Amino acid sequence: MKETLYEILMGDKALIHIPYGDGFFDIYKSVVVSWLVIAIVFFLILFMTRDLKVHNISKRQAAVESFVIWIRGVTGGMIGEEGYRYRDYLGTVLIFIAFSNMIGLFGLTPPTMDITITIALSIMSIILVEGAGIRRKGVGKWVKGFAQPMAVIAPMNVLELFIRPLSLCMRLFGNILGATVIMELIKVAMPLPVIVPAALSLYFDIFDGAIQAYVFVFLTSLYIKEALE
Amino acid sequence: MLTTSFVNIACTIINLLILYFIAKKFLFQRIDNIFMQRKEEVDEATKAADKATQEAINTKREYEKKIELADEEKEQILSDIKKQGYDEYERIINDAKKKGEQILIEAKHNAEVENERAKEVYAAQLTDMVIDAASKIAATKHSTQDDLELYDKFISEAGVSNE
Repeated sequence: MKETLYEILMGDKALIHIPYGDGFFDIYKSVVVSWLVIAIVFFLILFMTRDLKVHNISKRQAAVESFVIWIRGVTGGMIGEEGYRYRDYLGTVLIFIAFSNMIGLFGLTPPTMDITITIALSIMSIILVEGAGIRRKGVGKWVKGFAQPMAVIAPMNVLELFIRPLSLCMRLFGNILGATVIMELIKVAMPLPVIVPAALSLYFDIFDGAIQAYVFVFLTSLYIKEALE
Repeated sequence: MLTTSFVNIACTIINLLILYFIAKKFLFQRIDNIFMQRKEEVDEATKAADKATQEAINTKREYEKKIELADEEKEQILSDIKKQGYDEYERIINDAKKKGEQILIEAKHNAEVENERAKEVYAAQLTDMVIDAASKIAATKHSTQDDLELYDKFISEAGVSNE
């Protein structure tokens, strides 16, 4: 048990060693797994959107159409009408995080359990948030926006620029890490080695994974909405 | 556990951008295209239906107008025919009257001519008879008695021939 936990928590992250730059260019396992996630999503999209028709649609097309409408409804509903242009990105992130979190079902370590991935996600989020604000208000107004509603809290607002992505990144990372660790413990501790872990895996891998993906996207869209106001 | 590296963060950002590009290009745009085509079709169908309705209303109006005109025309034709009929009637009656008058005049004239002719015949017979009587009287020796007989005879002959 100790070894498993050690492997999860402290093991070497690097999977592909590049013999140059003293490990600086090593590719982490989580990145490789996220390539796999991207490949799976890509092939799924290709399969689902194969030979789309305007009339007499197949069940597959009906499913993918209602999925697109649903995911746009989710992200668009959170972000509001002004930010409709960003909802496809948020939908993509939702799909990516959900798939990443659930890949633990297939025995792989979820990429979102690595802080590298969540840092990248939150950097993208904060760039999107501030980019949306700048795009909307222009640079001058965006800078002035830090001193609102009054100049005293300007440092707080500047701090938020870092707090927000940090909280996004840490929340996702901690949740998935916790879920994975708990699942490992349960697998060791449970007397019935298949049934109970399977049932709990339903919660920790699927439900928690989906919830965390939703929370990440929800908070990002909340920030974007705020930035657009 | 908390180790990270710049290269891997950059890799993940690139991954995300690639995934976004894939999703945008192959999922959202494709579906959007389908939705757009569907919307266009619906718009076109609505437009066509509106146009057809407008055309139908126009045609209906046209026909109503035509029917109104036909009614008027019908009245016109009927009144024309009636008038013509009256004219014809007048003409026929007038003709008949004229003909009747002519026939009457002709008949009167014929009767007069006939009368004239009968008078002439009668006069001629009378003349013959007078001559006959005169010759008879002249041919016979006669007394008062004879004369009386002769007169009687003449009168009775004349009466016979005049009947």
